[in-house]
Amino acid sequence: MLALRSVTKRYGSITALDNVSLEIAPGEFFGLLGPNGAGKSTLMSLAAGLRTPDSGEVLLADAPLSKVNLAARHVLGLVPQTIALYTDLTAEQNLRIFGQLYGISGRDLKSRIDEALESVQLADRRHSVVKTFSGGMQRRLNLVASLLHRPKILLCDEPTVGIDPQSRNAIFDYLERLNREGLTIIYSTHYMEEAERLCSRIGIIDHGKILALGTLDELLMQLPFEDEIAFPETPATATFAAQLTAHGQLSTAEGTHRFRPRSGHPLSVFFADAEKTGVATRLFEIQRPTLEAVFLHLTGRKLRD
Amino acid sequence: MHPIFVLFRKSVLHFTRNKAAVLITFLVPVVLIALFGFVFGLYKHVDKGPGGIGLAVVNLSSEPAAKDLIEALKLEKTFYVITTIDNPDGTKRPLTEADVRAAIHDNKYRFALVLPADMIPDDGFGIHLKFFSDPRNEVETQMVNGILQKTIFSRVPQLLGQSLQHHSRKYLGDERFETFNRKMADMVAATYGGDADKIYQRMVSGDFMGIRSLNTPKAKTSTDKASSTDADAASPADIFSRIARIETEQLVGKKVSNPAASRLVGGYAIMFLMFALSGSATSLFEEKRSGIFQRVLAAPVRSSHILWARFLFGVALGTLQLSFLFLAGKVLFGIDLFSHTVPLLSLIVVAAAACTAFGMLLAAISSSPEMALGLANLIVLVMCAIGGAWFPVSLMPAFIQQFSKLTIVYWSVEGFASILWAGHTFIEMLPTLGILAAFAVGVMALAVVCFKRSSMFD
Repeated sequence: MLALRSVTKRYGSITALDNVSLEIAPGEFFGLLGPNGAGKSTLMSLAAGLRTPDSGEVLLADAPLSKVNLAARHVLGLVPQTIALYTDLTAEQNLRIFGQLYGISGRDLKSRIDEALESVQLADRRHSVVKTFSGGMQRRLNLVASLLHRPKILLCDEPTVGIDPQSRNAIFDYLERLNREGLTIIYSTHYMEEAERLCSRIGIIDHGKILALGTLDELLMQLPFEDEIAFPETPATATFAAQLTAHGQLSTAEGTHRFRPRSGHPLSVFFADAEKTGVATRLFEIQRPTLEAVFLHLTGRKLRD
Repeated sequence: MHPIFVLFRKSVLHFTRNKAAVLITFLVPVVLIALFGFVFGLYKHVDKGPGGIGLAVVNLSSEPAAKDLIEALKLEKTFYVITTIDNPDGTKRPLTEADVRAAIHDNKYRFALVLPADMIPDDGFGIHLKFFSDPRNEVETQMVNGILQKTIFSRVPQLLGQSLQHHSRKYLGDERFETFNRKMADMVAATYGGDADKIYQRMVSGDFMGIRSLNTPKAKTSTDKASSTDADAASPADIFSRIARIETEQLVGKKVSNPAASRLVGGYAIMFLMFALSGSATSLFEEKRSGIFQRVLAAPVRSSHILWARFLFGVALGTLQLSFLFLAGKVLFGIDLFSHTVPLLSLIVVAAAACTAFGMLLAAISSSPEMALGLANLIVLVMCAIGGAWFPVSLMPAFIQQFSKLTIVYWSVEGFASILWAGHTFIEMLPTLGILAAFAVGVMALAVVCFKRSSMFD
């Protein structure tokens, strides 16, 4: 449905995207995970047709997407990273303006505005000036303002930055519902939890390059370990912890040991060794690895470094 | 370091990083002070060149004093004296009364002095002059009147002397007049010394008894004496009006009820319009910062749509603002608007368009709203100063006057004066409307090009 073929984009001497190729299938909830400055927003703006690549091409339904291809804009919806609303105007006035930009008018526009405001629980605030809204309310309005023209692909550029967990969950629920209804979503974030919860497929991006691409399980498979076992750093666990380095990777921080057993080192052996050294098994917590670990594995850095 | 000094240093850093603040604090006042200095002639070392207020002089008199008066006017720095007109073949001829009447109507210059053939009448006492004016600018008019009076009255003793010589020749006859002057010259030479021929020549030219060298206050005393016999009860003003009878005729703006207000409202309205529209254009930066451009451009919208929408809004806002200010002028000062509705509205629209385009260009060439605001302050104030919004352009040196015509303010202010003062029709206003429309189109085209090269829509 949307494809980037060997796309490179530079700003002066900075390469924001470096030979990126990507294909998004219809109905997909695709996550673009990377730290700030990784190239996520540049990729989103290219996918929205706001910028032209220096080399390569962006295709929408096999047709090139560019700044002059205005017809393609009806297929796409962009939720900018910032609160891109006229904050001195009311919620309804904002939606009316953005709807009219897509040529929607009259009763059709009114019913779409009603529907949009209902869907994000802002119907009772339709006549309120946006600057009086909480951050979460503004984010919700920011989202539905991009949906009035009923796009087939929604590009969400970090749409939950700086909001409370409750509003974030409301946005997640709404996006998941839209995706279930068939909307293709491309979602950029630097929160691994968001990508893990929402996305059926994830691309990890850093320094303008896609480092890894796949489902969550496929990405986790790239790790040289399957599980992570956490236990407290105490004198009683010190001897056992020292033995573990022969069987995997041990890291210690903030009073907690984290052990990542090497592939082929079964958990049954781990627990047997623990019993032998007198460490109570109730101290151990087995955790599934996260995308954070994948990013660390791929880049040697933490996602939020 | 003490917190006071830490915070002081913070303020210094903050100020020096804000180019607009630096510009407004230092450059804008210096530029304006420099301009006012030029206007009020504070630069002793700067040659103002052939500047000054245009004063046409038509000399129909054969009296030597007429030439002297013209020379005296030429020496006045306030005036740029025009005595000739170009023929179609490129040659020059002396101005006629008809020439100056037409030129004043066309606003080529606004003041003319006619020295008529009967400048020194045979049948009366004193001198006779004609003065034509288009007093569309009260400051300029008051200056011209003042300097003209000073120059004429500083020449009154000589003119008066010639007048007396005329009368003597008329009543005595040529032969007895010659004999009288000869004998008087011989007697003065014999009594006080000196060359009798030179004394005779001075007497004939009206400069007897050294009266020509007297300055105005002394001349005033002598004329009081001269007229005391027949006008003892007359006031000094009556005496002067009889010595120098100046027929004044206002050729333009006779029907204007409040001339000063007409200009005041026009000048200040255009200044505030430029500030308002520059501010409005800088709000483009706010929309960019908030990401609204990103959202709008993700819709089926081109960046040129955004620019032209902003331009249209500016023109509408400017038209509304100017109309409102002129309506306020009507309510407050009784300016006659409704006799000039079509040309005035046309000028308001094109002036608003030109000012909007200017604001757009400022936003296009600036990298931040602060820079745009700083540039707006600098350029708008300078344009208002040299464009005639605050004081007449004619008071400025010639080289600055050349720049005046490159400003939107000049054409707008002159346009409003032409409509409200001179009562120009829509057809007569077409050249001015055309120039302002060309400003609007040219500047807006430049703004669009600059916007495309800028990062405004990235």
